[in-house]
Amino acid sequence: MNARHYQWAVWAVVGLCYVVPYGPLTGIAHWYGSFLFWGVAGVAIIALNVLMTADFDDRFEE
Amino acid sequence: MSLSLIWAAVGVYLLLGLAIAFLSRSDSTNGARVDMSGFFLGNRQMNGFVSALSYSATTYSAFMMVGLAGLTYAGGVGAFGFEIVYFAGVSLVAIFGPKFWAVGKRFGYVTPSEMLGHRYADRRVAIATALASCLFLIPYAAVQLAGVGYLLAGMSGGAITFTTGVVVAAILAILFSFIAGIRSVMWTDSLQALFMIVASTLVALLVVESLGGFAALFDTLATEHPEALTVPGSGLFSLTTFLGLTLPWFFFSLSNPQVSQRLFMPASLRSMRQMLIGFLVFGFVYTLVSVLWGFSALVAFPGLVQSDLATPTLLASEHVPPILGVIVMVGILAAAVSTIDSIMLTLSSMVSRDVYANLSPTASEARQLRVGKWVLPVIALLALMFAELQLDLIAVLSVAASTGLVVVVPPIIGAFYWRRGTAVGALASIIGGGAAVIALYATGIKPLGLPPGIWALPVALVLYVAASLVTRAPETRTREFLAAAGR
Repeated sequence: MNARHYQWAVWAVVGLCYVVPYGPLTGIAHWYGSFLFWGVAGVAIIALNVLMTADFDDRFEE
Repeated sequence: MSLSLIWAAVGVYLLLGLAIAFLSRSDSTNGARVDMSGFFLGNRQMNGFVSALSYSATTYSAFMMVGLAGLTYAGGVGAFGFEIVYFAGVSLVAIFGPKFWAVGKRFGYVTPSEMLGHRYADRRVAIATALASCLFLIPYAAVQLAGVGYLLAGMSGGAITFTTGVVVAAILAILFSFIAGIRSVMWTDSLQALFMIVASTLVALLVVESLGGFAALFDTLATEHPEALTVPGSGLFSLTTFLGLTLPWFFFSLSNPQVSQRLFMPASLRSMRQMLIGFLVFGFVYTLVSVLWGFSALVAFPGLVQSDLATPTLLASEHVPPILGVIVMVGILAAAVSTIDSIMLTLSSMVSRDVYANLSPTASEARQLRVGKWVLPVIALLALMFAELQLDLIAVLSVAASTGLVVVVPPIIGAFYWRRGTAVGALASIIGGGAAVIALYATGIKPLGLPPGIWALPVALVLYVAASLVTRAPETRTREFLAAAGR
């Protein structure tokens, strides 16, 4: 996968951040409901950014 | 909490901050050769670690510890989702960061508005962007000042007035940005960010522990406030409101010049990567901590009349030892100040570089810098006036500012991805879109029942595309710009 693929993964995670808590998780009033979901989404975003910027060292360098 | 303890802590913070600000001075910010790039961009030589901490402190401020905790208190877990969507939006730095950085180096841009003016070959675009930024960011700075006002008033039980808190924060911000420009801002930011994350995490752990631990906290929430663990929950976070809040914030890293200007500053792309990843890790922990504070306050003090008092009440309570409470209070004060001084510095660079220098093209760099330094306290005074209005929910006002700024997003994205984009298109997006946002807020009208936060971006986008299609793009400039951006 290249940086562009990871970008799409980020947009997918963002989309799920709306769909899942406002869909299947609306009835789960526990820590393992929306709280856990958005927490996992946050960790996924960090990981995807690490992957997306992996080639920063050798781009545009003078 | 005793008044003398609060003032002693503020005094220590002031002395420490001033010492760091003076130590951060260098030839490029205070010597004979100082220029716009030196004062406002640190000569494009900022390292990744300092950049990460400063980017975090600039972004996260009174809004998080006071506003987000208050929003969690009032609306439940939806506040966490809102902040996570914003957080995901910072991924735009991974896409646009290297492009900003490359064109900034190639063409010597000092401000993002200068970049737009040059890209669209029309100085009016730079002027309009700079003025729109002032119009929307001064209320945003006011939000931070108001945060300090609430905090000091809440923690002292009203002995320190809201106005005193606001004035103290404004004076600190002026001092920290005057001493060495961006260098004093970034170095003071860095210290406070480190201090903040450690102290606030400790408090969160301590409070959650004193409420019986993580499981007990969430069990109590599930039985006594189940609506706080779902969306739309109590109703504050309906899907429409959630969209209206998150859409503008998703683009924060591009639309807000006090953070997008940071993309010109790293010494290398390796530094930029460190800045981004460092920020994300910091931001995730900080977000969790703020949300846990809000939940803890809801469990411990369910009857507060104003949700923005959730954090001050928690810090002043028996759940937090006074010394740790006062340390976090100073940290929040510092984080608010670091956001205000970054905004003031960016806006003053925009006024001098994009408004003054464009209207007076013979003005030297030294003259531009003098004008910029004069604008700093003027912006602080304006923010102070707004803060005195004491509007209700800090977070909502802050988002109104982000809604207004989102109108620069189509011209920014178009600058890098659409050859047909024109100056008239950019002006239509910024002026037309900005006017639409102001009209929606001023009249309270919600077309189709949707809030301004949802309308701002599509309106600006349609105006940008439509006006661009009927006008002629600056072909040579576009080619040069895109070549420099690596496209």
